[in-house]
Order: sequence, then C-alpha cells, then structure tokens
Amino acid sequence: MKKLLVAILCLTMFLSMASAASAAEANVIEFWTFAESHVDLYKVMAEKWNAEFPDKPIELSVSVMPYDDMHNKLLIALQSGEGAPDMVDIEIGKFANFLKGEPQLLPLNRVVEPELDNIVRSRVDIYSKDGNFYGICFHVGAAVIYYNDALLKEAGIDYTTIKTWDDYAQAGAKFLEATGKPFGTVETTDLWHFEPLVFSQGGDILNKEDGTPNIDSPEVKKALAFNQDLIQKGILALAPGGNHHAEEYYGMMNAGSYGSVIMPMWYMNRFTDYMPDLSKQIAIAPLPVWEEGQPRSVGLGGTGTAVTNQATNPDLTMDFLAYTKLSKEGNVQVWKVLGFDPIRSEVWSMPELRDGDTKFHQYYVNNPFDVLMEIKDEIPAITVSEFLPPTSDALKNNVFFRAYEEMADLDTMLPEENAKVK
Amino acid sequence: MGVAFLKKRQGFRAFFYSQKAAPYVFVMPFILVFVIFFVFPLISTVIMSFQSVLPGQVRFIGLENIKRLNDPEFFQAIKNNLIYTALTLALLIPFPMIFACMLNSKATIGRNFFRSALFVPILTSVVVAGTIFRLIFGELPGALANQIVGLFGMGPFRWRQMQGTVYMILVMLACWRWTGVNILYFLSGLQSIPEELYESASIDGASTIRKFRHITWPMLKPTTIYVLTISIYGGFAMFLESYMLYTNNRSPRGMGLTIIGYLYRQGWEQNNIGYGSAIGLCLLLIVMVINLVQLKFFGLFAKEDK
Amino acid sequence: MNTAAPLPTLKEKPRYTLGTVLRLIFFLLLTFIVLFPLFAIVLASFKPGTELLRTGLNVRWQPEVMSFNNYRLLFEPLESDYMIWFGNSLLITLLQSVLTLIVSAWVGYGFAMYEFRFKNLLFTCVLIIMMVPMEIIMLPLYQEIVGMKIIDTVWGIILPFVAMPLPIFFFRQYLSGLPRDLLDAGRVDGSSEYGIFVRIILPLMTPAFGAMGIFIGMNCWNNFLWPLIVLRTGSKFTLPIGLNTLLTPYGNNYDILVAGSVFAIIPIIILFVCFQKYFIAGMTAGSVKG
Repeated sequence: MKKLLVAILCLTMFLSMASAASAAEANVIEFWTFAESHVDLYKVMAEKWNAEFPDKPIELSVSVMPYDDMHNKLLIALQSGEGAPDMVDIEIGKFANFLKGEPQLLPLNRVVEPELDNIVRSRVDIYSKDGNFYGICFHVGAAVIYYNDALLKEAGIDYTTIKTWDDYAQAGAKFLEATGKPFGTVETTDLWHFEPLVFSQGGDILNKEDGTPNIDSPEVKKALAFNQDLIQKGILALAPGGNHHAEEYYGMMNAGSYGSVIMPMWYMNRFTDYMPDLSKQIAIAPLPVWEEGQPRSVGLGGTGTAVTNQATNPDLTMDFLAYTKLSKEGNVQVWKVLGFDPIRSEVWSMPELRDGDTKFHQYYVNNPFDVLMEIKDEIPAITVSEFLPPTSDALKNNVFFRAYEEMADLDTMLPEENAKVK
Repeated sequence: MGVAFLKKRQGFRAFFYSQKAAPYVFVMPFILVFVIFFVFPLISTVIMSFQSVLPGQVRFIGLENIKRLNDPEFFQAIKNNLIYTALTLALLIPFPMIFACMLNSKATIGRNFFRSALFVPILTSVVVAGTIFRLIFGELPGALANQIVGLFGMGPFRWRQMQGTVYMILVMLACWRWTGVNILYFLSGLQSIPEELYESASIDGASTIRKFRHITWPMLKPTTIYVLTISIYGGFAMFLESYMLYTNNRSPRGMGLTIIGYLYRQGWEQNNIGYGSAIGLCLLLIVMVINLVQLKFFGLFAKEDK
Repeated sequence: MNTAAPLPTLKEKPRYTLGTVLRLIFFLLLTFIVLFPLFAIVLASFKPGTELLRTGLNVRWQPEVMSFNNYRLLFEPLESDYMIWFGNSLLITLLQSVLTLIVSAWVGYGFAMYEFRFKNLLFTCVLIIMMVPMEIIMLPLYQEIVGMKIIDTVWGIILPFVAMPLPIFFFRQYLSGLPRDLLDAGRVDGSSEYGIFVRIILPLMTPAFGAMGIFIGMNCWNNFLWPLIVLRTGSKFTLPIGLNTLLTPYGNNYDILVAGSVFAIIPIIILFVCFQKYFIAGMTAGSVKG
C-alpha cells in the first residue's frame, strides 16, 4: 500500500516536471484572449507567417480565459511586473484601465505610423495616448441595422425606404399590426442598440472635451425616450436574456420573433453561427437617422491587440501583430475568418472580398460590402477616456434596466446615475 | 527489522527521534500550512482593509474602505445571502431528516438504491450544475422549466430576470445538490440510535410521532447541529452557484449578487484589493458572530444531554 | 405482568402495507425528479449546440439530430482542448489527493496518539480553519503565491490546502480507535516514532484512506475557484476552468460544453458506484462528533 502510494507520487511528480521541460525551437509568442473565435484568425496568420518568413518562425501559445478574469489577471501581471503574456487582446471597454499612469504596454508607432493612411484611423486612435498607439483593432465596428427581409416583405414593408427614425417607428407600427410581432428589441444589459441613436445626433455618452460622463445629456435622453415610447407601443420588445448575445435572444430571433436588430457589422457571425434558420432572410442596411444628413453609422466595440512591456521578443511580436491586423493579407483574413469589417479600407473594394463566396455572402440577402462602401465616410469615433469603463457599466447595470423595465422618469434618473459614476 | 536509532546518536538527531519531539514533528506540517497559508493571509486581509492597494503605492486610508461598505449593492448582497440561507435552512434540514427516517425504516423497499440515487447530484461540479440549471431556467418557451409550467397553462417566465424566481432557482439548485448529502448525515446519526429505545417505546404503546419527538429528535441533536452549522456557513459563503447562472457575474440590479460575489467583483475584477479585503472582513465577522451565537445557544442544550 | 411468550426477534418479516407502497412511489418520484436534470443534459449532449439554442434544453428524443459528434469533438485536439483539461485535472487530482492524504494522516496521527503542550490549542486551530470561508483570504493568499513564485503552477494550487482540516479531523478520530499497545510494541522493537507510523500504522489505514481519498479526490476534480485564480496559461487549465471558458459573452460553445460536462461526471460516477461505502464514510466524516 505504501509502496503504491510512493510510486504514484513519483510518477505524478515526474509527469508534472516533464511537461514543463519542453522548450520550443521557434520563438514562442504567448498570447491571451477572451474570445475563442479570435484564436482562429491568429492561428491562420501564424501559419502564413511561418510560410512567408521561415527564417524567423513563431509558435503561438494561446490562453483563452473568461472575459473579466483575463483582463484582471493581465492588470495584476502588468502591475506586479511579471507573468504577463507577450501579446494580448484587450476589449475597448477595459482598455482605459491599462493606459492609466505609465502604460505597461509598448508603443506600436513603428508599425502603425506607416499605415495610417491605409486604415480607418479612428480604430487605432481609440487605443492611443499622448501620440502613442498602444492597440490595434480588429474591425471598424460600423453600426448597421439587420432586417428580417422575409418577415418585412410579408408585412408589406420595404426596408430600403426607412431613412429616418420616424420612418422606423411608422414601419414598426405597420409591422406590429400585420404580424403581431415587435419590430425590434432593446437590450437591458448592453449598449449596442442605443449608441447609434445618440451618435447620429452628434452626442456621446462621454463629454467630448474632457471625457467625463455625459449620461444626462439631451441626446441620451432623446434616445432613451424614443425607445421607451416604442416599448410602450409594443413596437420594441426587451431582448430575452437581456442582450443580443444571450442564447435566449438567439433562439427567439431564430424563430422569427422580431423584425430587425441594431448591431454593428461584427455581429454578422452571430447570425451565421447561432441563427442558422434565418439564412437568406436577413438584409443589412445603413441605420436610420433623426434628420437626413446626419451620420448613419458609428464605430462601436472593438478589441485592441497590444504588446506588453514584458514581451520576450518585442520586435518580432510587433511585426507579427502588424502582419495580422495591418497588412492587406491580414485584413482579408479578418473578413474571411471572422466576418469583421476590416480596418484597411482598400480591402473593401477588392473583388475577391466583395464577390467572394464566404458563408456571409451565402447567408445575407445583400452584400455587406455594398453597405460598408455606402457609409464609409459616416463613421465617427466614440470618445475614449478613463471614464469609459465605469460609464459603460452604469448604463449596462442600471440605466437601461430602469429606463426600459421600470419606465423611470428620465429627468430624475439620468442625472442621478450620472452623478454615481465614480 | 528494528534499527537501533536511539542508542548512540547525540544532539539534534537524538532529540528529533525522541518520543518528546515526535508529536511536534507530526503536527509540524499543519502548523506550517496554518501559519503561512492561513494566518498571514488573514492578517493581511485585516490590514489591507484599511489600505488602498495599487502597485507601488500602498497607503493607509483609515476607515475609508469601511465607509465604502455603506453601499446599496453591498446591502443587496447581504440581503440575498440572508434570504438564501434562511430558505435553504428551512428546506435542507427538516426534509432530509424526514426522508432519512423513512429510508432508515425497514418498511421502505430499495432503500440503498434511493439513498445512492439521491446522492448523485453532489458529484457534479458547481460549473456543471450551474450550467444545467441555467439551461433549465432559460427564457425560451422551449426551455424545460417553461415547458413544465406550460403544462399547467402558465406563460413562459423570465426566470433569471425576476428577483423572486432567482431566489427560487438558487434554492432549488442547493436542494438538488445537498438533499442527498444531508440525508446521509441524518442516516448516519440515526444509525447510532439503539434499536432497543424504539422497541421499548413500542411496547409502551408510543405512536410514531411520540417516538420521533422523544427519541429521534433529541438523539439526532448533534447531527442536526452539525448540519445547521455547515448550512449556515454554506449559505453565507455561496458564490459559485450564482456566478454560473449569469454571464460575467452580472445579474440585473444585483438580484443574484452574493457577498462573496461582491468581493470577487470589487477585489478581483476591479482590482480594488483594499476594499475587497474590507468586504471579506465584514463577512468574517458575520460568520463568526453567527457561529458564536449558535455555539452558545446549542452548547447549553448539549450539556444537558450529557 | 407480562406472561406471554418472549418478544418477537428484531428481524420480523416486513409486511407490505399501503404505507410501504406509498413510500415506494414517493421515493421513485423523488428520484425521478432528482435525476431528471442529469438525464436532460445527457440527452442534450447528443444533440448539436444549435439545437439547444433553437429550442432550449428539453427531453425530446430527436433521432434526426442526435449523434455522437459532440463526443468526437472532445477527443479531437484541433477542435478542442478538452483532452488537455482532462489530463490536467487528472494529474492535479492524483497529486493533490496523494499528498493531502499523506500529510493529513501524518498530522492526524500526531493529534491522535500523543499528548503534548498546545495540543488542544492547535486542534482548535484546525476547527477554526473549517469555519472561515476560503474566499475571505483568497486575495492576500494570491499575492503570497505570486511572491513565492508558485503562481500558475501545480504547487500553487496544492500547497495552501495540503493540510486540510476535515481529513485531519477524520484521521485523528479513526486513529484514536487504535490501541496504544501497537505503539509500545513498535518502540520495543527499536523502531523510531516515524518508523512506527510508516510500517505499522499506515497499512492499517486502508479503509480510512479509501474514504478520505475519495472525498479529497472528488473535491479536487470539481475544484473551480482557486485553480481559476492561480492558473494563467491555457494549456494548464483544469476541466472546470476549461468548461467555463466556453461560456463567452458573445455566445456559448454548447457542443463541447454539454458533452464535456457529461464526460467529466463519468469518472466520478464510476468511482461512486464501485466505492459507495467509502464515499458515504467520507462525506459523513465530520458529523459524528460529540
């Protein structure tokens, strides 16, 4: 009995040490992310890199961690000076936390500056500080609206005629009467459905001058009031599960319960992956505006990939990052693998992309790139400051719930919530 | 086979192998672990409760963290734990006790099978159990819970978005996992009650209920106290069950938030280690107070039985 | 006053009354309700994840969509890291169980067989640990582990909990039942105190090791929070952590999550069915105290 125990002990100790001992020949780039889907892109690009640059091979070591967990471990590792990866995906909602004080991320100017004219600049500006670029985004994140064209046709609505929010409300009423279903949904725990209504007015959830919270601004109030009104009329419903990424929402939308949804272009792969029954029924269109002439889109969301100051091969890592996200081939793959609207504008008009035959081309009724080309000059950037995380949280945790579920009075609620943002 | 260790060695080795030193050597690993991995962190928690902890800048800020505890979110968490604990106590002590009595009696067929079957849920990890319940109580009309209430003509419910049903889900999860275990505790307690007591009671013409009141209940007291203690502990330390029900540890208006959930969010997700420690300290005090009260209260009873 | 024949023996033939039948039905119903969620999840593991999204968790038998595909994904290294997580969990569970058993037995023996100063004080310390939730000290504990450079390693997970209070408690109780003569016999033979433990006591502890081994093993296998905090590298993740990463803010990979959850329960259930006695002894360890 004792001998057995000792044997097991030795074996397990040996095994644990053995696994630690394998050192790779290629340069290992340690990479953290929170989204499993992103990994596919990196793997594809790593293969291409190794094929194109056999003299400096890289080996990608990926760790996928839960969202909050990853961001926090990263923060602790950077602050304590050890344990951080070489390269990491940081979501825009958390990026400001890593720029406080002296950023522990390496400036990427060397690779970014040469490409500034080729990319949608705001997608690196949002991750910059004091003239240094610290992160590169996956996508433009252009906000658009997805219509269930099949359902709309049944109700006798042509989505291309919807140009203003008034048009939207009227079409919604007609849709409700014809089908008995809500025309769209609002999220109680996320802000994608809401930001376009604010930005097209020229507003923002943060003050443009100093970045302080701006929840009590008239633009925000107008957007919330509009939604509240439509909810009460039954034209808008609360998204089941609380947001447009909940499995309940996917199920309901997939079953044809709603006529439309306001989400950015990177939402395209949610449709293909989680709502397969709607294939060939969904059309993508530019968003309505309050008055003609206002910008019909805004750049939402984003994950900035950064290189930490603890990277073992900073230059190699930076080059690989640039290869993945700034180069033409990289941007082509961003579209092909992930279905995101890439940041390198020349890629949008490339026939191989526009006329390609990806699952996205097969799924959507119209061509996503046509929409992108139509709105490409109408995509303002959001304001970024250290108040972005807590302001987003305030909206996601309290404001929407109170506005939509409890129909709170906006004149009292908004200043109250704005003051609470620390 | 025996080697003469003690005869000729001097100094430390002799002491080490002596009978006097032996107990200390045996207990030493515990002392080490206790001091290094328990006492130090505990003291750190207390100290950090009065500090603001950022890398390179750790400074004392007096009672500021304590004042921050005056936060509606924190009170919501405490309220949630209180209600949860009360409900689980109400359900996870009387019923398993009764079930255990039933399973203990020879009149029940297949007792061993049932005892084992009811025990199975605890074998799943909280991650798996939480996922299962999350799926069961989804909002879709096709989700299991909605299908079941649909049979009774009740509409699909948004289970995880309403405070009342959230408590219900958490308590159901706890009952599902722990009923079998508590049954076992009571069973082992029951099996230490001598049969003769019941026999002589039967002869005296006692009914089942009287037997229960005068024999079973008092003799089960130590077990009941034990189950009570761990249930209270479990109720206040509950975290993972609620964590698994919601993505990203976010429930609307904090309806599923627990004290440790709040600690995790502040201390770990937002990196406010000082404040997180203060929350932990508060929880420690709550748990200690309850334990002391309980020990006192039941300590008196235990004495009279002896 | 009783002049009747001697009382019937204890083992009277059970008579099947209405009460018996009712009890049977009751427990059958209860068991059905309790095992139902597990049945539902097993069924769902044979259906594609999109099915789960489309209709939610249900118990419909749908042969047209059911297959073993999800399980195939588990074993395919390109599709998922499941086997890596499984292997890590296995490794850590074995290592932690063996170490904890040995150390706890060692300590429990000390408490059981010897009288020494501070004994009661120290034992009270054991009880104190049981009263304090780990989560209260986990933040500074994390900092300590980082400082000791065992973060992101197996040792960071195991060391803080290698002297677990419940096993120590259990072993003390178990060993107190052994006669002291054994010790004296050993000493007469010239064996050292430690030799006695290793050669005489350990072999006698098999049933105790069985019970505690399973208890500790099960806890290690299902352990989630502490390993989540300690581990950073994807290739080191254990099963619960790995399964949790499949729940992302953007949508959940139910194919692997559901099949993986079912597969994770299997070793425990097998262990349970074979060693029920030990499981039960282990779980009820703390309750039998004065």
